[in-house]
Amino acid sequence: MTAAAFPRRPSLPAAWWGMVMLICSETVLFACMIATYFYFRFRSPIWPQGGVSPPELISTLVPALCLATTSVPMQLAAFAARAGRLAWTRLYVVAALIVQCGYLGFEIRDYNNQQNAVDITHNAYTSIYFTLLGADHGHVVIGALFSFWLLWKLSKGLNRYRTNATLAIAWYWHFANLATLAVVGTLLSARV
Amino acid sequence: MAVATPPAVTPAGTERLDRLERMWESRPGILGWLTTTDHKRIGLLYFWATLVFFGAGGIEALMMRTQLAEPNNNLIGPATYDELFSMHGITMIFLFIIPMTTGAFGNYLLPLMIGARDMAFPRMNALSFWIFVSSGIFLYIALFIGVAPNAGWYNYVPLSGSQYDPGRNIDVYCLGIILNGISSTLTAAQFIVTIFKSRAPGMSLNRLPLFCYAMFAAAVGLLFALPSLTIDTIFLFLDRNIGTHFFQPAHGGSTLLWQTLFWFFGHPEVYILIVPAFGIATSIIPAFTQRKLVGFPLVAIAEVLVIVIGFGVFSHHMYATGLPTVGLIFFAAATAMVVIPSTIQVFSWLMSLITGTPRYRTPLLFIGGFIFMFVIGGLSGMMFVAIPLDQATTHTYFILAHFHYIIFGAAVFPIFGGMYYWFPKVTGKMYFERPGQISFWVLFVGTNLLFFPMHIVGLLGMPRRDYTYPSGLGWGAYNLAETIGGYITLVGILMLLGNLVVSYLRGEEAGPDPFHGGTLEWTIPSPPPDYNFAVIPKVRSAYPNWDGDAAETTRRLNQGVLVLEQGHEQVETTVADGFLSDVVTMPHSSPWPILLAFFLAMVVLFLTLGKFGVAGIMGILCLLALFGWHSQEPADE
Repeated sequence: MTAAAFPRRPSLPAAWWGMVMLICSETVLFACMIATYFYFRFRSPIWPQGGVSPPELISTLVPALCLATTSVPMQLAAFAARAGRLAWTRLYVVAALIVQCGYLGFEIRDYNNQQNAVDITHNAYTSIYFTLLGADHGHVVIGALFSFWLLWKLSKGLNRYRTNATLAIAWYWHFANLATLAVVGTLLSARV
Repeated sequence: MAVATPPAVTPAGTERLDRLERMWESRPGILGWLTTTDHKRIGLLYFWATLVFFGAGGIEALMMRTQLAEPNNNLIGPATYDELFSMHGITMIFLFIIPMTTGAFGNYLLPLMIGARDMAFPRMNALSFWIFVSSGIFLYIALFIGVAPNAGWYNYVPLSGSQYDPGRNIDVYCLGIILNGISSTLTAAQFIVTIFKSRAPGMSLNRLPLFCYAMFAAAVGLLFALPSLTIDTIFLFLDRNIGTHFFQPAHGGSTLLWQTLFWFFGHPEVYILIVPAFGIATSIIPAFTQRKLVGFPLVAIAEVLVIVIGFGVFSHHMYATGLPTVGLIFFAAATAMVVIPSTIQVFSWLMSLITGTPRYRTPLLFIGGFIFMFVIGGLSGMMFVAIPLDQATTHTYFILAHFHYIIFGAAVFPIFGGMYYWFPKVTGKMYFERPGQISFWVLFVGTNLLFFPMHIVGLLGMPRRDYTYPSGLGWGAYNLAETIGGYITLVGILMLLGNLVVSYLRGEEAGPDPFHGGTLEWTIPSPPPDYNFAVIPKVRSAYPNWDGDAAETTRRLNQGVLVLEQGHEQVETTVADGFLSDVVTMPHSSPWPILLAFFLAMVVLFLTLGKFGVAGIMGILCLLALFGWHSQEPADE
């Protein structure tokens, strides 16, 4: 006899709360970087500084929007895991991961191309531009690692631990996608 | 009244206790300590480690005070002095007060006060400790090989830029602070989730002890303030090592950016330091007045509000930087506002003392000293609302006097009081009362003699951080008095520690509840068993030890209600109302936290040495350690 004498009420697991704490901390991290971007911008007579051209609209925005759509399959994966549907959980995570990896591959190539055109050490604008972009890509890399790890765990079936992990990682992706949109929005604001 | 004894009434109850004992027993020996995930052991590890760093920071302070005892003294050269005051600040803030209040007191006491068997994430808790120790060792190795941070704890650019500080000193600062920040962030996340999810059934948020509210407020502060410092130090590291231009106006950057980001962290940090001390005060006062704290909900709100408003105060550290007038007025108003929640607490403490039946034992004496010094430090802080006064006293000893009254008086005095108060709980032994009281008075006199004259020399114009000063300015006598005060403080601290050591060896048995405290930790034996609570408590008020539930606890043990002896388990509850929501399996001891912390420290070390490739390899080892960590899964209930 353990906790049977006590009625229970469902609530979100500690794992989800742990992920929310990480998200809070990382949100402030990105907020500080974005604030730095605008801090420089509002103190600078010309933006972008030093004749650097602003980022291209289509090649910056479209991949970010593609990435943002992966929140849908990740949330579906969390629902499927909670319902005990292992195959669907795996399928949704894989579907999201294909898009996420595609995004990452494109962005890494694009990042290198941009770096070759104008270096991070060029001026304060390029410093914050590449730092913001790099930080965002770093978070996508971490998300991809999470998802690969999750797939490995799911290969052994579902239990409460893996269900909670799916939920927490889905929330990480929601955050990473929103952060990407915020970063891309910030960087594209140079065009305005 | 409820004085708890190990509830072993029937053979079935005894059998359950035996099972719990086996289930939660810690591994013996050094390996047991290195791999522990028990919050009590981690709390003790924090305690001993922070005490060592407190000693180091104290020695640095005494070396500086000795140097300043007389004008034109050349005992310590300017370069060494720079490293000493930098390391003193860094040590006392990052390696002593935060880890002592949250790491040691918080870790040990939080689960005991909320009726939990461990923190929500025990392995992460261990990781947090080992990263903290790594950061401290890293910074102190740097001191011994002559590359310690040397641009002050707030490390302003451009002084800390590679142009004016080309050595490795500032890189050590950046990476050491980042490493320490990771540890504090993990602790903060851990505390918030533990408070949200691991409370005993019935402990709704309005029954959460005020100590836990204080820990919650400090954790929220850490979680939201630290990223700003992390980003700041990353920017500086990139400027110094990669060639970015965040802090270089000639390339579009800004030197003020450093101060803005730093103080966005730095001012909440002050409240992060003192709010846990408020929590200690709100634990000690009810126990020694035998009454519930006056204005309980107001104090709970005030503890959180102090932190929230603290985020809007940061620019009052930057009045002398040429901020626009509107900005100055806004931050002056916010500075004035923070007085409100602080004063609510002071009046609550005082009214509890007046309307209760105070027993002025050693812990309460320290709280009295704390209130006295907090009020003095608060009043001098209030003066900074007057912007011209702030501008005139910036970078003088007046500021130093103000924040030492706050940090030593309002943060360290409650720590000392807390050491006495919970000593019987942690060790099972009583401290010696009379020597305890003498140690308080010696510390009280020494501290005031050390810090009060700083107000005067500050107003006379003595600048801080200068390694010496000329004679004939009327500063010598005050400085000598401060130095004497410093040594008296040292004597007081040694008396305190000596008392605790002798008490541990020869003190009387304390029993489970020597002070008749109100919170849950006093319902269990001293020292607490590995499983903390034989029965997960059912909480009915904010002072459950005064509810007289011991017989009910025994009955539940005999019946096996919420004993959870079948596994290494604890309960999860709903966030607001504290309803039981789940029973979860907790991890046992694990080697992964210490391994991960080691690899992370190696990443930092090789980054400092500029060996980015090796740092990358260490980063991969970190990932592998994480992989190993998560190879173990808890069993389903």
